[in-house]
Amino acid sequence: MGDSFSRKGQNRYLDPYVNRWTTKILPGEYAVTAEDELIVTAVGSCIAACIHDTVTGIGGMNHFMLPSSTGGDWAGQNAAARYGNFAMEFLINEILKQGGKKTNLVAKIFGGGTMMPAQLQIGEMNAAFAREYLQTEKIPILAEDVGQGYSRKVYFHPKSGAVTMKKLMVLANDTIPRREADYGKVLSDMPLDGEVELF
Amino acid sequence: MSKTILTVDDSASIRQMVTFTLKQAGYTVVEADDGSKGLEVAKSVGDIALVLTDLNMPNMNGLELIRNLRQLPAFKFTPILMLTTESDETKKMEGKQAGATGWIVKPFNPEQLLKVIEKVIPA
Repeated sequence: MGDSFSRKGQNRYLDPYVNRWTTKILPGEYAVTAEDELIVTAVGSCIAACIHDTVTGIGGMNHFMLPSSTGGDWAGQNAAARYGNFAMEFLINEILKQGGKKTNLVAKIFGGGTMMPAQLQIGEMNAAFAREYLQTEKIPILAEDVGQGYSRKVYFHPKSGAVTMKKLMVLANDTIPRREADYGKVLSDMPLDGEVELF
Repeated sequence: MSKTILTVDDSASIRQMVTFTLKQAGYTVVEADDGSKGLEVAKSVGDIALVLTDLNMPNMNGLELIRNLRQLPAFKFTPILMLTTESDETKKMEGKQAGATGWIVKPFNPEQLLKVIEKVIPA
């Protein structure tokens, strides 16, 4: 369950332009590295949170959204926010597992764009959630580019914390919104409970 | 008198969610944000009916916390549930060997959490 809920990005290649190993992540995935590598994704209304440890240089990025179906209150947060909580926790836990320290973590967030007028709130909700989550966890947000009506291509270099972001004002095809819509559908259908085992 | 549950998690968001759910169900909740603080709270509060702990935490992780708790006479038989993003079988076995009572993989829902708790500490 945990794996299908938030998967580790598997798509790693040597990017000839920057001459660095690069992991590309898709909606619902995350990647963490301690190496001198890049992580890249393209977000529409989803959020890409880039988190890194300023001391050890270990860091990672996720690509997530809150599902549109709600219901079931949980600490004043609806079920949707729980997905977000877990998407963030999978990323942060992996950073800690590889040697990061929570008190050293800083964040940069991107995305939450309005891809279609009818979806005005989706991107905003995702961005508001990300800000609130990071505030609760006391992880400072050093930079953000959220909202507006465009998609973004985000390159993250966890070692330095540097992010290069490209605004995609005109999309050559519908790949980004389509992938995110498919991911949204999967999320809405996914029961939000993990396995329980009593020893 | 309501039963006291100790919840140990380094994520403030998760502690918020867990505490809210447990309090609504009538439990008394004490919190700690890592294993070593959890151990201190356990020692000072004493009468704890159940411990709910995360695995990956700074200072002292969940497995070390369980091993330490099991050495205290008051916690020899107290149910301890792991609440973690880890679903790996070897990690689970480590948990079992350390003395965990059960393993809950995140994400989880409130009803499910309460059901499991009622099973290990019947009212």
